Amino acid sequence: MSVDAGDPHRGDWDALDELAAGYVLGTLSAAQREDVARRLPQEPGLQDRVDAWEARLHALSALAEPVTPAPRVWSAIARSIGHAEQRPTSATSATSATSATVRPGWWHSLALWRGIAFGATACSLLLAAMLGLRAFAPPAPPRYVVVLAAPQDKTPGWLIQASSPRRLKLIPLGAQAAPTNRALQFWTKADDWSGPVSLGLVQANQSLDVALDRLPALQDNQLFEITLEPAAGSPIGRPTGPVLYIGRAVLVR
Amino acid sequence: MTAALPSVNDHFDYESALAGCAARDVTALRRLYEHAAPYLLGVAVRIVRDRALAEDVLHDAFVKVWSHAHTFDPARGAARGWLFSLVRHQALNLVRDRLRLVLPDEEMAQAIEDEAALAAMAGAAPAGETRVMLGRLAICLDQLDPPKRDSILYAYVDGCSHSEIAARLGAPLGSVKAWVRRGLQALKECMQ
Repeated sequence: MSVDAGDPHRGDWDALDELAAGYVLGTLSAAQREDVARRLPQEPGLQDRVDAWEARLHALSALAEPVTPAPRVWSAIARSIGHAEQRPTSATSATSATSATVRPGWWHSLALWRGIAFGATACSLLLAAMLGLRAFAPPAPPRYVVVLAAPQDKTPGWLIQASSPRRLKLIPLGAQAAPTNRALQFWTKADDWSGPVSLGLVQANQSLDVALDRLPALQDNQLFEITLEPAAGSPIGRPTGPVLYIGRAVLVR
Repeated sequence: MTAALPSVNDHFDYESALAGCAARDVTALRRLYEHAAPYLLGVAVRIVRDRALAEDVLHDAFVKVWSHAHTFDPARGAARGWLFSLVRHQALNLVRDRLRLVLPDEEMAQAIEDEAALAAMAGAAPAGETRVMLGRLAICLDQLDPPKRDSILYAYVDGCSHSEIAARLGAPLGSVKAWVRRGLQALKECMQ
């Protein structure tokens, strides 16, 4: 191996870099991950690149908010490594040395809970797959989907899913946020209505559940739009600003 | 709890804690756990998206720390990085394997992954909003086009696959793969 090719700090990019970066970033499939893990001990060139990528991207871990683990996690770790925990809170800690060897209840078994969790996950995935296969089965309420896209370049900004005609969910797809002192307002209008009705102000980074209690049930081709309005919303109950995103309901059969 | 903004404020001595673990000192493992577990669990929760599964990841990772601490080589990188990488890979293995558990064939796997992508999309928040990192990486990330930057953040922080990123960004899979690759190339160049 030449010095250049083996130096992970060079700016050039090769297949090993691509593999190492994908491994560290996490985008490889399970099989590819296994393959890399198997190769690492034997291939210093790959290992160097993985180390370099770990170091480059490590600071991103700071973006995950800390979460305090439940106390039982440490107890389980202590048991797993053969150091059953001596509880300092035990009233007679000096005489309770035997308590450490008491067999814990079945409900403390991490393996059991993990089994249940995996089983549940597998079941739900299987169910999801079966539901997908049964999508053509008849008895389901009408479902609507709307993609709200920018009028000029058709960039999708929002997705609306309605699993029932009375309720919908507005989901941002990387939509632009409103500038300072302005707000995004969500509107809808069916073909036979005289004008659009406000469904409220929305945030570009938040999903929103909307109950259509006081409106007729959703219809095919119903119009939805998001306009730019003053910070408190349109003062006249009708859109006053430019349409940022617009789309029509499509019935999913 | 005051969540000190990480990395730079983290003066914990990871190296000596790992050395203690390698020397079979349980109190060293306990110290490491008490200091780092909330950060590590935070990382795992984002990737596996389930609190109980993330705690399993944390458990398995600490058992591995105990049994593998002697393999830590300071010449290959910092101890903090070693520990966080161990947890991330444990979590990534779990989410990638989960897909394979019930994988009868390619097509079914794709269908399941699409479902997961839709679910991920429903819980999506813009990856760009909390940019509290420090140092060169922040500068280099800021120089990337938003789709490249968001793709990389979704992958690293949220454990998203290419198709999950595509769902979140509402973009074709091919574009996402290209953004990730070019984004990484640009980062490598920028961080030399």
